[in-house]
Amino acid sequence: MSPVAAAQWPDTLRASATSPAAPWLLPASGTRLVAATEDLASHRAQFGPRPVRAVDLLSRVEAADAVGHGGALVPVSAKWRRALAGDGPLTVVANGAESEPLSAKDAVLLRRRPHLVLDGLVATAEALGAEDAVVWLHGSDERTRAAVVLAVAERREPVMPRVVVGPAHYLAGESSAIAHALEDGVPLPRARRTPVPGRPRTLVHNVETLARVALVARGLPSRATTLLTVATPAGREVHEVPRATPLLAVAAQAGWGAPMGALLGGFGGTWASRADLALPADPFTVRAAGLDLGAGVVAPLPADACPVAETAAVLSYLAAMSARQCGPCLFGLPAIADAVRRLADGVAGGSIRRRLAGDLAAVEGRGACHHPDGAVRLVRSLHRAFPAHLAEHARGRRCADAPVVLPVPGGHR
Amino acid sequence: MTTWRLRVDPVACDGIGQCALAAPLVHLDRWGYPVLPGQELPERAARAAARAVAACPRQALWLEPGRPDAPARRAP
Repeated sequence: MSPVAAAQWPDTLRASATSPAAPWLLPASGTRLVAATEDLASHRAQFGPRPVRAVDLLSRVEAADAVGHGGALVPVSAKWRRALAGDGPLTVVANGAESEPLSAKDAVLLRRRPHLVLDGLVATAEALGAEDAVVWLHGSDERTRAAVVLAVAERREPVMPRVVVGPAHYLAGESSAIAHALEDGVPLPRARRTPVPGRPRTLVHNVETLARVALVARGLPSRATTLLTVATPAGREVHEVPRATPLLAVAAQAGWGAPMGALLGGFGGTWASRADLALPADPFTVRAAGLDLGAGVVAPLPADACPVAETAAVLSYLAAMSARQCGPCLFGLPAIADAVRRLADGVAGGSIRRRLAGDLAAVEGRGACHHPDGAVRLVRSLHRAFPAHLAEHARGRRCADAPVVLPVPGGHR
Repeated sequence: MTTWRLRVDPVACDGIGQCALAAPLVHLDRWGYPVLPGQELPERAARAAARAVAACPRQALWLEPGRPDAPARRAP
């Protein structure tokens, strides 16, 4: 399996801005999105200069309840306190690698409004006394790299951001892999061992998170909207919507009529039933309902698709994308993918289904990173979102006429 | 009372299985990789766990001070 290049994808990134009311993360003129990269002069005209030496930024980030937008929704202040607890040299990373193939919001944000991300990165580095600031990008995303390099060249900062291009692999954006790469030159996930005094510290934030920190630093509301990538047959579309917008309405904006449900959060995400799509595009509300928007991905399924066959294709991809470092992931994901494939083909008897349940439990929480946990979550969510369809497969149904509609890279079917 | 937590670095672990031979509180999954007790270990169990730590040829296991008030969590 060769590494998957995002550049192989139809690059029809579009964005919608339904209201010009500030502050939106993506630049719009009226209701139309501005396609060009915003330069420093226009950025300052829009937002004013970056607040400098914001020593109270930690308390403001805490008061604003800023959370991470890479998928985990971890409070930003908690990550900052953990970083501040160490004493080695500190690097702050703006993670724009976005290795989740269904997601495009980070690339769109970096290409359209790089300076808001850079504001957040530099403000964070300054507030925490970091020595180094890095923008980490996916290995195959040349257009985003060009936009960020040009934006950095426009600025003079106390901590000048460096642009570092990582590998083109599904796990290239995993935060422990980034820290491992910057500290030791090994771009693979690692386990968190007991901290050693004097060890380098690496604080990794998703680029959208840092753009929102830049809003907080200016005293602007930071949680008015959600950035979502909607998968469509024509490619991925990025939509910025008010948080109250129902997910079904976001799908409709991207041209989806009556989906049977949607994959939320990407390949390691959760299946949502059609009824679930009445939920608003608010990551916390979605999580409270037992689902997860992850890094803001909505991939609707047409009414005639088979969610079990889709899951089998995604699991085969996730198994191939394992870093192959941890036994439970290396052996467990192919076993899980094989069992779900049999289920999709209607040939999974009771013993295979029981072993699948055992393997899900055996794999969960036992990798150095959360890659295997995403695969487990995906299968479990199938039970929740499509129980009747799944039961039919257990009785021998085979959805022979349902082609896989999710754009799973690498020919995994 | 001091408690301990047995941890494994799943990257360093090669599934050799010496830990499970040295300490019965470590189980192996069907691929031969250790499944560690999820709960905090009291002194006596921690001494058994220390034998697993010492037995590992990859030095993948370690004991760290527990927090007895913390809820049980899955290993590693």
